[in-house]
Amino acid sequence: MNTLVLLLLIFFGGGLLTYLAYKISKVVGDILIAILGLAGAYVFFTVSSQTSLTFSLGGFTLGLGFSEYSWIFGLLLSILAPLALIYSIPYMKGHDRLEWFYMLFLFVIGGMFGILMAKDWVTLFIFWEIMTWSSYLIILYSRKKGLDKIGLKYIFFSAIGAYSLLTAIVVIGGTMRTLSIAETISLFGVLPLKAQLLIGILLITGFGVKAAVMPLHVWAPDAYTNTPMSFSAIFSGAMSKMGIYGLGLVVVNMYLNHGIGSVGHWLAWFGAFTALFGTFYAVVQDDARKLLAWSSVAQLGYIVTGIGIGTKLAVFAALYLALLHGLFKGTLFMAIGAVERQAGTTKFSELRALIRKMPYTFLSALIAIIALAGIPPLAGFVGKWMLYESLITSGHYWVVIFLFFASTAGFLYSYRFLFGVFLGQEEDDYKDVKEAPALMTLPMLLLALVLIVLGTLPGFIFKPLAYSMQGLGFTDISYHMSVLTNSWGNSVSLPYISWTLATVFVLFLIVITWVNHKGTHNVSTKDIHTAGEPPSEEDNYHFALDFYKPFMRSIAPVFKYSITRIYNAIGRGIEDFFEYVRRFYTGNAQTYALYVIIFFAILLLLANQIF
Amino acid sequence: MDNILILKIAFIGASITLLFIGLYAVLTKRNLIKIVLGLSIMDNGLNLLFITMGFVKHGTAPIFSPLVMEKLKTVDAAAQVMVDPVVQALVLTAIVIGFGVTAVALALVLRLYRHHNTTNIDEIRNLKW
Amino acid sequence: MVAVNPIYYIALPLFFAFLLPLFGKIHKELIRIVPGLLYAYFLGMSFYMLRHVFVTGQPYIVEIAGWKAPWGINLVFDAFTGLIITFISVLAFLVWLYSYRFKKVEFDNALKYFVLLMLVTAGSMGIVMTGDIFNQFVFLEITGLSSYGLTAYYRGRDGAEAAFKYLLIGSLASTFVLMGILLIYTQLGTLNMADIARNIHLMKPSLKIAAFLLLFMGFGIEAEMFPMNGWAPDAYSQAPGPIGAVFASMTSKAGLYALIRLTFTIFDFSSVSKLLFIMGLLTLLFAEGIALRQEKIKRMLAYSSIGQIGLIMVAFSFNTYLGVFAGIFLMINHALIKSLLFFSASYLAYNSPKKYIKDIQGFGKVMPITSFLFALGAFAIIGFPPFSGFWSKFYFLLAAAQKHYIVLIVLILSVSLVELVYYLRVVHKLYFAKPTGDYEPHSPNWNGMLAMILLALVIIAIGVYPDLVTHYIDKAAVMIMDKAQYIHNSLGI
Repeated sequence: MNTLVLLLLIFFGGGLLTYLAYKISKVVGDILIAILGLAGAYVFFTVSSQTSLTFSLGGFTLGLGFSEYSWIFGLLLSILAPLALIYSIPYMKGHDRLEWFYMLFLFVIGGMFGILMAKDWVTLFIFWEIMTWSSYLIILYSRKKGLDKIGLKYIFFSAIGAYSLLTAIVVIGGTMRTLSIAETISLFGVLPLKAQLLIGILLITGFGVKAAVMPLHVWAPDAYTNTPMSFSAIFSGAMSKMGIYGLGLVVVNMYLNHGIGSVGHWLAWFGAFTALFGTFYAVVQDDARKLLAWSSVAQLGYIVTGIGIGTKLAVFAALYLALLHGLFKGTLFMAIGAVERQAGTTKFSELRALIRKMPYTFLSALIAIIALAGIPPLAGFVGKWMLYESLITSGHYWVVIFLFFASTAGFLYSYRFLFGVFLGQEEDDYKDVKEAPALMTLPMLLLALVLIVLGTLPGFIFKPLAYSMQGLGFTDISYHMSVLTNSWGNSVSLPYISWTLATVFVLFLIVITWVNHKGTHNVSTKDIHTAGEPPSEEDNYHFALDFYKPFMRSIAPVFKYSITRIYNAIGRGIEDFFEYVRRFYTGNAQTYALYVIIFFAILLLLANQIF
Repeated sequence: MDNILILKIAFIGASITLLFIGLYAVLTKRNLIKIVLGLSIMDNGLNLLFITMGFVKHGTAPIFSPLVMEKLKTVDAAAQVMVDPVVQALVLTAIVIGFGVTAVALALVLRLYRHHNTTNIDEIRNLKW
Repeated sequence: MVAVNPIYYIALPLFFAFLLPLFGKIHKELIRIVPGLLYAYFLGMSFYMLRHVFVTGQPYIVEIAGWKAPWGINLVFDAFTGLIITFISVLAFLVWLYSYRFKKVEFDNALKYFVLLMLVTAGSMGIVMTGDIFNQFVFLEITGLSSYGLTAYYRGRDGAEAAFKYLLIGSLASTFVLMGILLIYTQLGTLNMADIARNIHLMKPSLKIAAFLLLFMGFGIEAEMFPMNGWAPDAYSQAPGPIGAVFASMTSKAGLYALIRLTFTIFDFSSVSKLLFIMGLLTLLFAEGIALRQEKIKRMLAYSSIGQIGLIMVAFSFNTYLGVFAGIFLMINHALIKSLLFFSASYLAYNSPKKYIKDIQGFGKVMPITSFLFALGAFAIIGFPPFSGFWSKFYFLLAAAQKHYIVLIVLILSVSLVELVYYLRVVHKLYFAKPTGDYEPHSPNWNGMLAMILLALVIIAIGVYPDLVTHYIDKAAVMIMDKAQYIHNSLGI
């Protein structure tokens, strides 16, 4: 059997099988999903780039097959998906309707593989929609109060995206007489500029929704937060990358390779704004899951910026960051899922000092946070370095300033995440918290290990990335195991930079600890030094509340303008309008008869215009 | 002017007048029964219009009977004086249908009256918007 | 072959409808079984005949009582009408299956119900197949009269009100149609549609326009065209649930068919498609917008149904092969999906005393399978792949793009967003809130469940493998575009 079909069958057929398996016995189902996840990953690695399949459906000739470019996203997915599925087994234990959850979970993964192997727009759209509605149903899965609004918001914005995509696809089909992605790309230069802009902007809108580009991001924070964390790891880690995948196709393959740079330039600005404001919002969250969700929005902003700039180094950096983001955000969502399961909450104002209770979770979260914040020696640093370099060499100084500010502010939420959940004084409330089961910690630690390897020896991942870049028309990427040749013609030896900075950092840490150590003593959170003055009701007893008060005060004006409010106003306006319009049907039969006669009279009067 | 033409115009005028009377009743009368009557009048006006269209002066039944053939000799000549059979058939059908519609309408009016205790169409507006 | 003849579609239901009381005298159960046997026979016959037409390319033409076409009445079962007849047969069978033991229908009522049901299917099929325009009027009236009866089937107050509205507007429609027929007959002296189409250029232009407008009005009312569709939401919501499906899939489709025949075959106006386009678009926009603000589930479905018909009109108004193709596909899909929605919604609404959407909250727990099937129908009609709704929408948009109607595409997709919101709101109500407790759960009977599941399977099957129907639609679309072929088939010239 064709391996592509096999891959789809594992997830779609397997999804249906899972439904039955869970109906029979939970244990059988648990074993089945682990096997399916690993089998899917295995089959993906056996697929060669030559494997393809052409078939005809509904009068269209459709095709399947991975391209060099889509392969890298498949790689991310096949690392993340089995780990998330295995992690999910203990995480979801005790929930009811598991058969639905896992069926949809597998459908989402299958949908993503489908998108990546689609050779034409119809197939891409079909899998795109299957992925969308499956994930929408997973949001609804827990049926908690208020989730229906969040689900509706998600599916509504997804539908805006999907319909932009659909419009673009039919315009392509109508004007270019082809639905193949490769042909669209190669013939794109022939189109008049107006059509190029129309198709491209529609596609960018469509993919941009999934990549959570502002102002189409409003669904993302709520959606990422409100699914079971084992799915959030995929949701934020892998599914958002489908948007990035599409944006790369449009911006680089369609526009830049046919000499149109301005659209990408604009997109870069959108990405920069997303990065900045996403970071701001992440800083002020009290819920760790929400913080991670907003941080995802911000991180996707960087990636979109890189894609938008579209130089060789920028795209390379963007893909690298995309891959990394999938890995570390997967780890973080898993870690917070473990905390949620063991401690019962994810609020900073309630959690504290889980470091000794959940050391493995802390370790993997620490590594992921270091990677996220771009602190050397881990991988995020390399990605950011490349991104900044590409921005500076292509002259986008203002974008650099934006991003630099955003990533500095990113330290704030990174620190808050670690501190709020794992550090601080121990409390009796969390005395009995235990480390998560091995099946949950192992996937996290494994991902953390991957992050360390990729950070210290980025060459491992440069090879597949360089291979992928061929799909975007960038052929001569030179790299060594730990050295990237940059666009100035120098080779940048990343480990030297990384390790130097890391050493400085560690030394600085030791000095600080040494200096301050003597003056400290252990206190409990209830021990309030008020110098004889009893604290009033309003005083803050918990250190994690209003953590960044001064910072928040300084960026408060940003929060005054909310795009959500504009969307709500539009929605209400439409509803009110139709509430008024429906009075047209008065309920009186004679009025209806009158409408008929009036309509006939109008037709007669306008007969000369009509015929 | 030909008598026939005047007659025809008169018939057409009468049937159109009937149509408009019916329409007037349907659109302005508030009583359900009057509305049903209006519909019936419209039907009748239309039927009259049909008949008028098939009208032939001194026409005979459209049957090539030996009597007719003896009088007029040729088929063509006989066809000249025969009234159009099709419209008659159509009108017969239309009358039957009109009767059926009126019966159903009156049954509905009866039931509406039982439920609402009124035949005023303005007061029967439970279903709207 | 004696066992297959298009005339059976009309003759047998009429025959058995009036014999049904006698069957009831023999055994009560026969009242329910006889229509089912008949519909099962139609189902087989349609598939056989459609297959035959598809393979040989030869349509079935029947000349009633041996009169040759321009003088006698002929029935045409070609690639286009045959396809419509086939899906009407499919739905008639499923409606029968669904209503075999529907709720608490008493013996007397079951008799009336099935008699009217058989009449309405006979009428709809007659409108589609007949080649004679006056005959079409007669079938229109048969359909109309039996629909009034079905609308008022529940003896409540509102059923009669809805039926009266339907009757009033329906009578106006028949008056318009009759006047149009009269104009054509006085001018051309023929009632055969093919013959009229052949000679239409002989008509006086002003009278031709008048005749067209009269017929357009008449059939437009039956097809629920804006602004003449005030009766439709009332009738849909007051009739029994399966009859909502009948209205959506048969009577409105028959009216639509007549409109299409009018614009594509009988008249030779080139600019008529513009009129159809505008009216279709208005129908769509108004109905879908108003559906957003409905509080009762069946009324919401009714408006949604009207909106879909507007969409179909727009598709046909493109006047291109792809547009017609999309239009036929939309017709089939709308019939299938809206029937599923009406089937499931009628059980949902049955259990809530006041039929408000807010009353059905939490039914996902009370009636899991029915709720699930409603959700599936909602997904299908929104157009998510891999359900059949996706393909028809896709073909429609492709047809629009081919004509470079970008603004139209944006408009249609905005309407789709509205549709998505109001359908998913209902689905959310089903699954999110807790049941109010103010209901007595009546789960569907096995036959109702079977009918719904069969529909759902067909929807998924077409969605996954659209080639099941696209070949037939392709032939049908070619057929409707080819006026000369229709005249040739009917008259032999």
